[in-house]
Amino acid sequence: MDTSRRHFINMCFKGGLSLSALTSFQLQAIDGLINSSQQLDDYKALVCIYLKGGNDSLNMLLPMQAEPLQNYLASRQDMAITEVTPISPLTTIEGGIGIPNSLSPLHTLFDQQRLAFVANVGSLITPLTLTQYKAKNAAIPKHLFSHNSQQATSMLGGEQNNTHHGWGAKLLEGLNSHHNFATNISLGGQNIWQTGDGTAPHSLSRSGALNIRAFTKDDHGNSFREQLINLLSEQQHPLKQAHQQALWSAIDNNDELYLALTASEEGAIFSNTLLSKKLQMVAKMISVNSKLNVKRQLFFVDMGGFDTHDNQVEKQPQLFSELANAMVEFDNAMQQQGMQDSVTSFTLSDFARSLSSNGDGTDHAWAGNQMVMGGAVNGGDIYGKLASFSLNSEFDVGGGRFIPQIANEQYFATLAKWYGASDSMIQDIFPTLSNFDNHYLGFI
Amino acid sequence: MYVYLLVIAIFMLGCGGQEGDDPSPTQAIPQISIAPMADYYSATTTEIILSATAVIESGEITEVLWQQTDGLNADIRSPNALNTAVYLSLPTSSSQAYTFELTVTGSEGTTASKSISFSHYLVMDKFQAARLLHQGTMGPTLNEITQATGLTGQQWLQDQIELPITHHLPLLQNYPEKDSPTRTSRLDTWWKASLNAPDQLRQRVAFALSQIFVVSDESFTQPAGQAHYYDLLLNHSFGNYRELLEAVTLSPIMGRYLSHLGNQKGDPNKNIRPDENYAREVMQLFSIGLTKLNLDGSNRLDENGQTIPTFNQTEVEGLAKVFTGWTYANRASWTSGSADYINPMQAWANYHSTAEKHLLNGVILPAGQSAELDLQQALDNLANHPNVAPFISKLLIQRLVTSNPTPQYIGRISSVFNDNGQGGYGDLGAVVTAILLDDEARQHGGVIQYVGKVREPILRTVQLWRETNAQSNSGWYFINTKISHGQQPLSSPSVFNFYQSDYIPTNLTVLKLYAPEMQIATSTNLISYFNFQHQATTSNIASNNQITNEYAMLANLDYQIDLYQMQGLNSLLDYYDTVFLSGQLTPEMGEQFTLIFNHFSNKQLEQRIGNLLFAVINSPAYVVQQ
Repeated sequence: MDTSRRHFINMCFKGGLSLSALTSFQLQAIDGLINSSQQLDDYKALVCIYLKGGNDSLNMLLPMQAEPLQNYLASRQDMAITEVTPISPLTTIEGGIGIPNSLSPLHTLFDQQRLAFVANVGSLITPLTLTQYKAKNAAIPKHLFSHNSQQATSMLGGEQNNTHHGWGAKLLEGLNSHHNFATNISLGGQNIWQTGDGTAPHSLSRSGALNIRAFTKDDHGNSFREQLINLLSEQQHPLKQAHQQALWSAIDNNDELYLALTASEEGAIFSNTLLSKKLQMVAKMISVNSKLNVKRQLFFVDMGGFDTHDNQVEKQPQLFSELANAMVEFDNAMQQQGMQDSVTSFTLSDFARSLSSNGDGTDHAWAGNQMVMGGAVNGGDIYGKLASFSLNSEFDVGGGRFIPQIANEQYFATLAKWYGASDSMIQDIFPTLSNFDNHYLGFI
Repeated sequence: MYVYLLVIAIFMLGCGGQEGDDPSPTQAIPQISIAPMADYYSATTTEIILSATAVIESGEITEVLWQQTDGLNADIRSPNALNTAVYLSLPTSSSQAYTFELTVTGSEGTTASKSISFSHYLVMDKFQAARLLHQGTMGPTLNEITQATGLTGQQWLQDQIELPITHHLPLLQNYPEKDSPTRTSRLDTWWKASLNAPDQLRQRVAFALSQIFVVSDESFTQPAGQAHYYDLLLNHSFGNYRELLEAVTLSPIMGRYLSHLGNQKGDPNKNIRPDENYAREVMQLFSIGLTKLNLDGSNRLDENGQTIPTFNQTEVEGLAKVFTGWTYANRASWTSGSADYINPMQAWANYHSTAEKHLLNGVILPAGQSAELDLQQALDNLANHPNVAPFISKLLIQRLVTSNPTPQYIGRISSVFNDNGQGGYGDLGAVVTAILLDDEARQHGGVIQYVGKVREPILRTVQLWRETNAQSNSGWYFINTKISHGQQPLSSPSVFNFYQSDYIPTNLTVLKLYAPEMQIATSTNLISYFNFQHQATTSNIASNNQITNEYAMLANLDYQIDLYQMQGLNSLLDYYDTVFLSGQLTPEMGEQFTLIFNHFSNKQLEQRIGNLLFAVINSPAYVVQQ
C-alpha cells in the first residue's frame, strides 16, 4: 500500500474525515487499494503540450505559391511570414505547403514520419455551415473566442454545461488506471483535462520532486509529521478538508516520486528553455515508469505567451522556435529510451487566431492546426483539409475566423483509441462525436 | 437590523460511525433539534430567527412553545411556531446573554424541552475584532486587534476609510548600484507598504482589486508605472466604480498589457481591423462577465433553461473601435517619442475610428465622434449594465470574506452597489463596508458550514511578518514569491488572475463548492510553501546568527518567547488563538499543540516556539479564513 493511501485511510479511521465529504474520488482511491491490479500489459503515455493564450496555428502551415500565397499575403499583410521551409506531405497539396523557418527543426521529424499535422480542427458540436452559423439554426459552441471557456471545452471534450470532468481523466478512469497518482502528472499546474471524478493531477515542478524541510528523515521527523497530520482530525469544514487533503497527499506523493526519480537517468540533452525543461522532466518520469508501477500515464505540459494581440512578428518566431526545439529534444529522449512507440505527444490550444490582422497582431478565432508526434504516429502527412488562406471564404464567420472542418472530439477520439479506449468508452467520453461521420482520423 | 439564520444541510457522518443513544420509551418522546446560534455583536436593536425541528416516532406534535429563560425581555413573535423571529432590545451593558427554551408536546402527552443560549455584544470582543480584521486587513497584528476590541465594526471601518493613503510609488527605490528601479524594487515597495501601512483596509481592498483589474509584470516590466497602477487602485478603493473603470482603461500600464495602447482604426484596404484584446477582457473580466446575471449573482436563463451571453462578437468589434487612437501621454508623435507609464493615455484623433460602434443593449455610438466622447459613452454603457453590481460584488466578497457567498448575500451587496442609500451608484466604499458588516460575514445568528475562504499564501506570509515585525539586515525586502508561494503581487500568469472565481477542486465537486485559491494549491506549490514557512519560522529568525543573507526577512519571535517564559504555554496558545485563530482554538487543538511543543523539548526554546508557530499557521483553523 502506498503511503498516501495509508495516510488517507489512517485519517479516515481516526474519524478525521466525514464520509459525506468523501468524493467518489476518495472512495475510488480506497477501492483502488482493494483492486489495484493492472489489467493492461503494455505501457502508453499521452503528453499534452498546451499552447496557452490561443496559438496562431494558421501560421504553422503556409502556402508556397500562386493563389493561396497571394490570398495569405493579402490577409496577413506586413505580418505575413515569408521565410518558409517546404515540406512534402504524403498527401500532396497543390501548389505545395511549408512550415515557417522557426519550426524547421520539425522538418526531419515530419520527413521521418514521426510527426503529423491535423488541419482545420476546433470546437464544434455538430458539423456547421456558415449559413447555419449566421441563422443560428444549428448547435454552436458557447462563448467562442473566450480564453477560459475555450480552454475548458478543449480539455473537457465537450461543452461546459454538459460535463465537468476532463477527457484525459475520464480516459484514465475508463481504463481503470487512475488509482496510482503517478499516472496523472502535470507540469502546468491544475487543469481540467486531468481532473476527473476519480483523479486529479499531481503537479511536478520542472526541477522534480522536492525535499521537505520540516521533517528530518528519522523517527523524530516522522513523529512530528504524524502530529501535524493529527491537527487535521475532526475537520467538518469542507474547505479545510479539501486543503488538508491536498497538502498531505502532495507530501506523500512527493516522497514516492523523490525516491523513484533518484533512479532516473539524465539521458538526452535538453535546452534551457522552460518548455524543454518541462519535457525533460516528463522524459525522466517516463524513464522510471516501471518503478512507479504505471501502465498508463498522462502528462500535461503548458507553454504560455501565445496570446499575440501585439508584436506578433517579433514574438511568434521565438514561441515557435522554443516549441519546435523542445519537441525535437523530447523525441530524441524517447528514442534513446526506446519508448518512442509508447509515447504520443500532441498540441492543443484555446483556439487559433484571426487570419486578418489588427495591425500589430491577431485576435481570438476558431479553427486551427495541431501537431501529433511519436513513433506510433502515421506521420509525414497532413490530416484534414487546410483552412482557406482567403478572407470572406466559405467558412469565414468574419475577419478570418474559420468554422472548423474537424471537431476537437474527432482529434481526441483518435488519440484515445490508440491509448486503448474502446469505441463505447470513447462514445461515453465524447457524446457529440456521434454527430460526425468519421470518429477516427487515422493519424495514429 | 435583521439577523438571519441559515441552516445548511450538509450531513456529517463520521467515517468511524457512531452508535446513537436510543432510549426505547414505551411512549414516544419528541426529539428536538435547534439550529446553532453564534454569539454576535451589533450596535443596534436586532431581530433574530430561532429555528428548530421536532419529530416524534408515534402520534404527532400537538404543541410547540418558545419561552425566554434568560436575558432582557425579548419579543418572541411566534412563540407557538418552530421557526420564530425574536426582537431583541438594545443591551444596557456591553454584552447581554440570552437563553430561550423550546418545549414540544406530543399527542400522547409526552413533552421534551431544549434550550439555546447566545450573547449579543454591543461592541467587538477580541475574537470578533480579530475575525473582522482578518477579512479587512492584509493580516492583523495583536496591536491592531487590541485597538479594535471594544469598537463596533462600523467604527473600525470608518476609522480605516478615513486614514490617509499609503501610496507605493513614493516608496520605490532604485535597485542597489543601479540608476533605476527593477521588478525586485517594486516588490520591495509592495512588501514595505503592505507590512507597514496603517491604512490596512485600503491596502487589502486594493490587493483584491489588483486580482480583478489584473495587470502583470510577467508580460513587461515598468516598475514605476506598475507601482503607480497599484496606487491608482488604492486611490479608487473606496471611490466610484465608473471612475475606477475609466482610470484603469486609460492607464498606460493596462493599455500596454491588453494592447489597446497604440491600437488604431482599421484599414480595410489592408484587411486591418482594431485590436480586440481590451474590448473583450474589459467586458468579460472587469465589468459584466460572460452571462447575464440576476441581482443575486445567479445566471438568468432563457426559455430553454440556457444561460444568456452578455455580448457577442458584434459588441467586441464595436468596443474595439472605441479603444482606438490612444497612446502614451504627451508623445511627440503617434509612433515615436517618450513612453509615459504614469499619466493617463491621450487620444490622437487621426488614429481613432470614426465609424459607428455597436455597444451593449443595442446602443449605437454615432459615426464621427471624438475618441474622448466615444470612450466616455462606452464606459457609461458598460458601467451601467445590470450585471456590474452582482459581478463585481461577488468577486469582492470572494476576495475578502467567503468563496461561496449565498445568493442572498450577493443580492444585498448588489443592492448597495446599485444604491448606496443616498442614490449613489457604484460606491465602492459603501460596497466594502456592506460586505464586511453583512450578517453572513459577521456570522450573526447562524453559522454556515462552508463560510470562509482558503487564505492566499501571500496573505499568510504578510500576517506572519507583520506580527513578528520581520526585517532584513540590509533594509531591502527582496521577496520573490512566485516559486515559494505560487503567487506574486502584480505578477499573475495572465489577465485571468492566479485563479478563477469559479474553480472547484476535485474533492469539492460533490458539494459543488468554489475554492478559487485551491487552483494554485498544486502539489508543487503546497510543498514549496510548506518549506518556505518552515524556514520562515525556524531558521530565518532574528536571533539566528547563522543567517548571512542580508536580504533574508527575519521574523522576530522575542514576544512569543517572553510570553512563554513569563506566563507559560497556555498564555502563548491564547495569544495564537487571538492573533491567528480568531478564537477557534479548541481544547483538542490545544492538546495537539502542546504535544508538538513538547516534541521539540530537547531543542532550544526558539526552535520549540518556531516549530509550534509553524504548526499553528498550518492548522486548518488558520489555513481557512472564517
